[in-house]
Amino acid sequence: MVSLSSFLFLSFVLFLTGLMLVLGRKSIIFVLIGLELILNAAALNFVAYSRFVTEKLDGHLFALFIIVIAAAEAAVALALAIRFYQLKETTHLDELSELKH
Amino acid sequence: MLVVAIEKERTFEKVAIVSFLTILFILSALLMLVSCLALLLTKNIMHACTFLLAALLGVAGLYLTLHADTLAVTQVLVYVGGVVILMLFAVVLTGGQDQESITKEKFPHLAPLFGSKSTFLKAFLVSMIFFVAAASLLRLGEKEIVHVVAVNYAPTIQSLGQLLMTDYLFAFELVSVLLLGALIGAALIARPMKK
Amino acid sequence: MTDNMPQFFQELFHLETSDCLTFLFYFIGAFILVNIASVIGGLATYAERKISADMQLRIGPNRVGPYGLLQFLADGAKMLMKENIMPLMADRFLFNIAPMLCLVGIFATLAVLPISGNLTLAHLDVGVFYVVAISSLVGLGIFLGGYASNSKWSLLGGMRGASQIISYEIPVVISILSIVLLSGGTSFKTIVHHQGGLPHEWFVLHNPFTFIAFIVYFIGSLAEANRAPFDLPEAESELVSGYHTEYTGMKFAFFALAEYVEVFVLCGVGATLFLGGFNVPFGLDTFLSKTPFPLLAEVVQLGAFFTKTFALYYLVIVIRWTLPRLRVDQLMSLCWKYLTPIALFNLIGTAIWMVYFHDQSIVEIIKAAGSHAGGGH
Repeated sequence: MVSLSSFLFLSFVLFLTGLMLVLGRKSIIFVLIGLELILNAAALNFVAYSRFVTEKLDGHLFALFIIVIAAAEAAVALALAIRFYQLKETTHLDELSELKH
Repeated sequence: MLVVAIEKERTFEKVAIVSFLTILFILSALLMLVSCLALLLTKNIMHACTFLLAALLGVAGLYLTLHADTLAVTQVLVYVGGVVILMLFAVVLTGGQDQESITKEKFPHLAPLFGSKSTFLKAFLVSMIFFVAAASLLRLGEKEIVHVVAVNYAPTIQSLGQLLMTDYLFAFELVSVLLLGALIGAALIARPMKK
Repeated sequence: MTDNMPQFFQELFHLETSDCLTFLFYFIGAFILVNIASVIGGLATYAERKISADMQLRIGPNRVGPYGLLQFLADGAKMLMKENIMPLMADRFLFNIAPMLCLVGIFATLAVLPISGNLTLAHLDVGVFYVVAISSLVGLGIFLGGYASNSKWSLLGGMRGASQIISYEIPVVISILSIVLLSGGTSFKTIVHHQGGLPHEWFVLHNPFTFIAFIVYFIGSLAEANRAPFDLPEAESELVSGYHTEYTGMKFAFFALAEYVEVFVLCGVGATLFLGGFNVPFGLDTFLSKTPFPLLAEVVQLGAFFTKTFALYYLVIVIRWTLPRLRVDQLMSLCWKYLTPIALFNLIGTAIWMVYFHDQSIVEIIKAAGSHAGGGH
């Protein structure tokens, strides 16, 4: 019952949710939540293929690197969000339209 | 196809009993799907971070069904212990409420993307159906799978460690430099501004 | 030693293996372990009151039951009967799940706690990682509890508590890593097997770096569990009880129980990593496992584990009632400026020791030098 296509379906749902959050929400933190979901969908895909198609652990390693890089990127993105809030007093994305404050 | 036929024959007697792996898969998948749905429909950002936590825990459960024990534990350690707490702090430090819109619609945050709530739901359903149709047409998951029938439940942490130190050493060192840069950069960017 | 607990009991009672029986053994084992941990948490509150009374020249609880032993049951009954108050503007969903997150985060780590050779619920190969990962749910629960109460004291207490927990995870994990280096695996079974029964075979006396790592781990786990002198998030005189100000009744009992069981789990992990775990001196457990009563070996190992854990717990309680509380900036600077560099130095020192002395402990080196000097072969 548990086959490769069920995992691909689940990672597709995760990706779709993340994409809708990134495209459709107007607050910075929501966009970052969507970004985390997209990265997790990709990692789940890698691990599913590593389990069902090969016997090696390369997919696991790739997912590990994805987790680490996603954590680093979330830290920097949230620091930027805090700085943005310090400048503009809001987290609405429409205010993020000029290069110089 | 021969491999698949033999596999189907040998697993026939296990069809009656639902194995623990299947139960874990169903529970984790359910947790993840419900959290994704709740994420799309919520307006409160703290609730959204909690639903993100639940979705990531569901993904960790799915990693367990894929025999990736080290990866599941690392996922919980990094995401739950790190990223979600970081997001919660950032939410509290950036005002704490969702500042998206002030209209009185029930789901105003879905409007900008698809025009109205019903269009959004229709688009979601159509993409689901499209995926299931494409998957069954391309017969994903039914190819000649070259793995052994008696599944190897070997723990992965030793092999991952060896791989990291031999084949993937360069990537490992690069990622550590990246983490150092992210650490210093984030600490520098989020400092309070001097007036 | 058999692979896991159901297999041990199936061999003991000469039953045939089946999935249903395995599931039943796991279920009953988990149920018993959760109950025992809750009773230990309750008795820890009694022990704390008695030990603090002893140190302050008073008597402590002595009314309820013999020597006041049933005091924790009276406290539990009192908390069950209290009214469940929720502030008006509190976040209902988060207010309700925060104590549950704290509780789940701690009781889930009991599954890998190595209480004995064959009675441990799960000999996970990533046991040490699992404990660290799941116990980070507690910090999340504290933060959400502080935020959801919609009160400034609670929010401050919650933020301080969460930042304290995530900061002190770093020296704790690096100290654990130096032990993982020495034993060559993250499984608790491997770590316990690399130690012996007698104190000179424990990891704490293996080399000076692991001794310092034990001290760093102990201080860090005091801060992880929000115990004094690091209990600023719940201090009565500073923050009106911090993140659990607005909680009453059973939800507050969840927070308190989670804290006491967390101290027990962290002391158990410390006893396993540094003090030899369930190893019994003079090989008594291997001797007993060959007799017709193999359960006696398990009982003796349980005794060894609980003795070491309760000794550490006694130390935690004595420290609480001896030292004054740290300010939040002193707390943070202690972690980042002192404990983290010391822990990193320990890790590198342990690695260098392993390469230079080929994994020998100090006692083994002295013995080898002695036999070499006294006409060695």
